[in-house]
Amino acid sequence: MSLLSDLFAGKLLDPGYAEAAARRAASGGTRRRGGRLSGAGVLAVLAAAGVLLAVAGVQVRRSEPVAAKERARLIDQIHARTGETDALQRRLDRLRADTGRERAGALERSAEGRRARRDLAAQAAAAAAEPAAGPGLVVTVDDAPAEGRGEDGGDSGGRVYDQDLQALVNGLWAAGATAIGINGRRLTPVTAIRTAGEAILVDYRPLTGPYEVTALGDPDRLHDAFTGSAADRRLRALQERYHMRYGTRRTSGARLPAAGALRLRYAAPAPGAGR
Amino acid sequence: MIALIGLVIGVVLGLLLHPDVPLWLQPYLPIAIVAALDAMFGGVRARLEGIFDEKVFVVSFLSNTVIAALIVFLGDELGVGSQLSTGVVVVLGIRIFSNAAGIRRKLFGA
Repeated sequence: MSLLSDLFAGKLLDPGYAEAAARRAASGGTRRRGGRLSGAGVLAVLAAAGVLLAVAGVQVRRSEPVAAKERARLIDQIHARTGETDALQRRLDRLRADTGRERAGALERSAEGRRARRDLAAQAAAAAAEPAAGPGLVVTVDDAPAEGRGEDGGDSGGRVYDQDLQALVNGLWAAGATAIGINGRRLTPVTAIRTAGEAILVDYRPLTGPYEVTALGDPDRLHDAFTGSAADRRLRALQERYHMRYGTRRTSGARLPAAGALRLRYAAPAPGAGR
Repeated sequence: MIALIGLVIGVVLGLLLHPDVPLWLQPYLPIAIVAALDAMFGGVRARLEGIFDEKVFVVSFLSNTVIAALIVFLGDELGVGSQLSTGVVVVLGIRIFSNAAGIRRKLFGA
């Protein structure tokens, strides 16, 4: 009665019908002739099977929209929250502009104030606190296409790492860039470029390739100073060895936003100051 | 003929009545359907071989569905529900295919 041995022997797996037929034959065929589908029992059983099938089908189709609805609700929530943060960011920008204007007005009143304001402007530009625009150089790097990755490098050979971007950014600073942004995210002198898992975090926010590093400054001078630098050589080697994408182009009008939250590290309100 | 009529009546009834399956019964529905398929294929094969018996058919259908659902229920209680339902599906699937092979031999002689 083992399932597999019966199966290989080609025997009936359910001997119920054969036994019933044998019983009928033994009792001399007193019961109804076999082989006919008749009777209320068959009808009822098949109706029950039909109900089962229909109910299961309906059930499956009913649960589909539920999942879709859940997903739509989540997406709505994401959009709503993103809108909220965008509105908060806009409000923050407006308030910053207001305070900037008021500060400028207050400093305008005295010669010392005007000097402080010039100082402040220079510091703000260096700390990436103000949006910047102008001509510059755009360097594009990206992971190697999947089929072009070197065998010796394995799967991770053709990926852009945080060190590559760090070297590139340092090279651009060294070449005389006045402001740098990666994929539209402004870098301050203390912005971290790090790897977490497979993503590169800039200012602790994940970026995806291709990575466009925009450096503001005179494009020709930047280009000349950057070509042949250590960072340039490193990226060229990566390009040749792992077929990573690497290219530079000049741009006449690049725009970089102000960097995100600026934290004051050493400055504190003077005791007893303020209105 | 009567079999087809029964099946159609059942499907129509199920679609019209829209019975709400309670949540605790839902995991057993697919298993019960596989068991019902097994009983139906067995019935068709017996019919083609000329040894169909109504009592065997009704009893095999009811016991198949109930036992399959019971086994899965027991597995759920023991924490091996998915493994047990896999086992039930495998065994019933083998039976369905062997019955389908019998039907094929009777119908097409191949």
